Amino acid sequence: MSTVRHHVIIGSGVAGNQAAETLREHDPDSRITMITISRLPFFNRYDLPRVFRGERDWRRFIIYPAAYYRDNRITLRRATRVVNVDSASQILKLEHKESIHFDSLLVASGAGAYLPEELSEFRPLLHGFGAFRDAVTVADALPKGGHAILLGGDTIGLDLARTLLDTGHRVTLVAGPYTFWPHEVTPEERPQYIAALQRMGIVVVEAQSRGGIAAIEPGAKGLSARKLTFEDGSELAGDVVMPFFGIAPSLDFMLGSGVDIERGLLVTPNLRTTNENIYAAGDVCQIWTDKARRYCFYHGWKNVRAMGELAARNITGANEPWVPTQDEALHLTADGKIQSPFWEYQ
Amino acid sequence: MSTDIQIAIVGSAGDGTIAAGDILRRAMAEMGYRVISFDVYPPEIRGFGKCIARLRVTDEQAYSLKPQSDVLVSLDDSHAIPHVNEAREWGAVIYEGGSVGPLAEGAHISAHIDPGQIPYNAPIRELSEKSTGSARSRNVVVLGYIAGLFRLSVDPFLRALNSKFKGKADVAKKNEAALRAGFEEGARWFRLDDIAFGPPPAKNGGATVEMISGNAAVVRGALDAGIDNFFGYPITPATSIMERLASEMPKHGTRLVQTEDEISAIGATIGAGFTGARAATATSGPGLALMAEMLGLGVIAEIPSVVYVSQRGGPSTGMPTKTEQSDLNMAVHGGHGDAPRIVIAPTNVEGCYRCGGKAFEMAEAYQTPVIVLLDLYLSNRYETVPFPAQPPFEADTNRYADTRGGKAAGFKRYALTEGHVSPRSIPGQAGGMHVATGLEHNELGRPNDQSAMHTAMSRKRHEKLKAALKHPDFTAYKRFGDEGPVEVGVIAWGSTFGEALEAMILAREEGIRCAALKVVMISPFPTEAVAAFMADSGATLVPELNYQGQFAGILQAHVARPVTRLARVTGEPMEVGEILAEIRRLAGRTPARQAA
Repeated sequence: MSTVRHHVIIGSGVAGNQAAETLREHDPDSRITMITISRLPFFNRYDLPRVFRGERDWRRFIIYPAAYYRDNRITLRRATRVVNVDSASQILKLEHKESIHFDSLLVASGAGAYLPEELSEFRPLLHGFGAFRDAVTVADALPKGGHAILLGGDTIGLDLARTLLDTGHRVTLVAGPYTFWPHEVTPEERPQYIAALQRMGIVVVEAQSRGGIAAIEPGAKGLSARKLTFEDGSELAGDVVMPFFGIAPSLDFMLGSGVDIERGLLVTPNLRTTNENIYAAGDVCQIWTDKARRYCFYHGWKNVRAMGELAARNITGANEPWVPTQDEALHLTADGKIQSPFWEYQ
Repeated sequence: MSTDIQIAIVGSAGDGTIAAGDILRRAMAEMGYRVISFDVYPPEIRGFGKCIARLRVTDEQAYSLKPQSDVLVSLDDSHAIPHVNEAREWGAVIYEGGSVGPLAEGAHISAHIDPGQIPYNAPIRELSEKSTGSARSRNVVVLGYIAGLFRLSVDPFLRALNSKFKGKADVAKKNEAALRAGFEEGARWFRLDDIAFGPPPAKNGGATVEMISGNAAVVRGALDAGIDNFFGYPITPATSIMERLASEMPKHGTRLVQTEDEISAIGATIGAGFTGARAATATSGPGLALMAEMLGLGVIAEIPSVVYVSQRGGPSTGMPTKTEQSDLNMAVHGGHGDAPRIVIAPTNVEGCYRCGGKAFEMAEAYQTPVIVLLDLYLSNRYETVPFPAQPPFEADTNRYADTRGGKAAGFKRYALTEGHVSPRSIPGQAGGMHVATGLEHNELGRPNDQSAMHTAMSRKRHEKLKAALKHPDFTAYKRFGDEGPVEVGVIAWGSTFGEALEAMILAREEGIRCAALKVVMISPFPTEAVAAFMADSGATLVPELNYQGQFAGILQAHVARPVTRLARVTGEPMEVGEILAEIRRLAGRTPARQAA
């Protein structure tokens, strides 16, 4: 019987790739398979705003060349969806009915954009921003000097807003509870940050002050492509409407796996799930934190990368606890603009 | 070239792989692109063998297929997985995203796609079933997907489809639905590959560009040259010559007979030639072996005949569906006695047309059998060919003697003349009566085994062929690339010349002084031209598809200079990269791309 262990990683983002690198380092003879629904190899999602600066070659966004995976014997399976994980028999099933046995499984499938239920009926009229394709689609739909309406906010949306303003577009933010997600901002702190956004050139409309969003419709011929109507009857016209309401863990395939799930996969401080062979890292997992006495999410490039590395070390024999590595506080710069540590990566 | 895209479709026999390739090349040719394509299929008619349809689409006619494809389509993962590396970096791999039954790890092609390749996991089966009610049209769904993905017009595909299924309205209708379903699916996919179709080239003024196979071009050449009779016995890969002629010759008021075997076929061909008819047969290596003795009769009786030979892997039954160039020795030397004949080997599909027709002129002009040597790769490959408005063949080159007033039985049919070609008469021609025999004979044709006569007649039969090297409007050989002294000279013949030419062009781009010599006429051998080319070449490379290096052997019998043989019997066409690597080695170059 083969003694070569097969490490399977679901997800090919920051956590997954860092884990693969660490696994190769700590278990040189092992098989490593990384599975992702993405058709692209690992690319820098934080760099996507560059699309609005005219960068349309996705190859300029990827972190590692194809040879990296070959040289490190990492089998990268793209455009592949995991539909089921049988934790007892250590087999996962792919959508095309292929079965893969694993000795260890790291779930690093990340998270997708969250869309509040009340807006779901307008989904066909909204532009996403989670993938390279989305970025190109938005950039194509947004004319020179065009008007983007951002719903919610969150740090991903605000980062995009900065680029859109830099590239000569207009930005209106329909603000709400998610505007500074995942930063925790108190009601007392909120006005100064809203004012900072306005100083940056963003037009801020508080959704609540207009009773919330009533409808999103295609614009009339010859006018802007989208029309947003508030409950108070006021309207807002724009070329694109983009939702930014934080993220929701991508873990549908884990629902029948037998491991514990709350909003994310619940893991111990050493990132192990309730199954000894299954670990989780990144935006998909909630880590038990003794200090807070609850399971917490940790976001940001640096945190996620550290989780991938830690999970891989623990899979290969270490037993080390998670320690957050990233500053999570929202800051104001000297010239009165906001600065999120989540915009810093590398 | 602004467009240079190679597409490979890999499937199992019964998947419609070859049919898909056929529709695809028809559509591309209709759009105005130049196409070269070659299909690989198993010897079994139906079963589980591997089929591959490859086509290269360009805006200038390409000389060969590329070693790597830009698009690889899998219709059967078990066959496509070994070929997945054929797709280049940032090229597309199109495959079935689903599966009918459970799969073991690694049985799906997605497990083998390189991180540098772009996966397109389309719902091929589902689209076929939804649009037609069955999975049989997966191949057509894929074609529509390709059209949609690469933003091509669907109309040429529809016309190619309807042309293929002409007279089968129900089949055509279902396939149209499948094509449209695939097109809509492909059009909605976001492109990540870097494959780009440029605009098709402007129409070629005067000439009609048609997409045609090597064997079909031979047939067209024969018809345009006025073939009167064809006698044949089917054998892969020559059969389609007879099949096509069988449907075409009745339209021209001419006759085709399927004989009981190859011996009968060549006998009838020589018999018809004796009467003055333009007659031909077609076969492959095993058939040519059977024809060897009768060809000797054609030589000694100096009777025009044309034999189209499409080579395949041998010996014996060998590899009927694999290509090879291993019948050269038999074509040039096969048979007993000193039996010189003309052997010409076209190097591309356009050449098949020219050689196919010119062979009749030569057979008549030099009163001898002419072998047109093809191979499976050339017979079955398709190219877009610009056909001239007027056929470039002389309608009748029979130079019958003026026998009016001649004496009965006194006609010197085999007169020893200055040009070595004798006056000729045909049966029934007044004053032209003579004896035609397989025995050595005198000028009247009467048996004569005197040593002086045998020597004189042997010399005549050899010497008369030399003029064929300068046969009007025929390219017996041609030099390409750098003029004057070169580091490496490549000499190639038949289907391999296309790969040799591509390799030479690439070598020159790398800064190697290089030239290529195309040799079409192998017997008689263009000794002077080859010797001059070799004198210019620091090293001479001869790539060919046989084990012995048969052409190199013939060459060295005529020109006493060293050559480097690159002889391969893989059953596949020679790879451009392999020839290029050898050119680099001979030129003493470090392969820059590999070093990088």
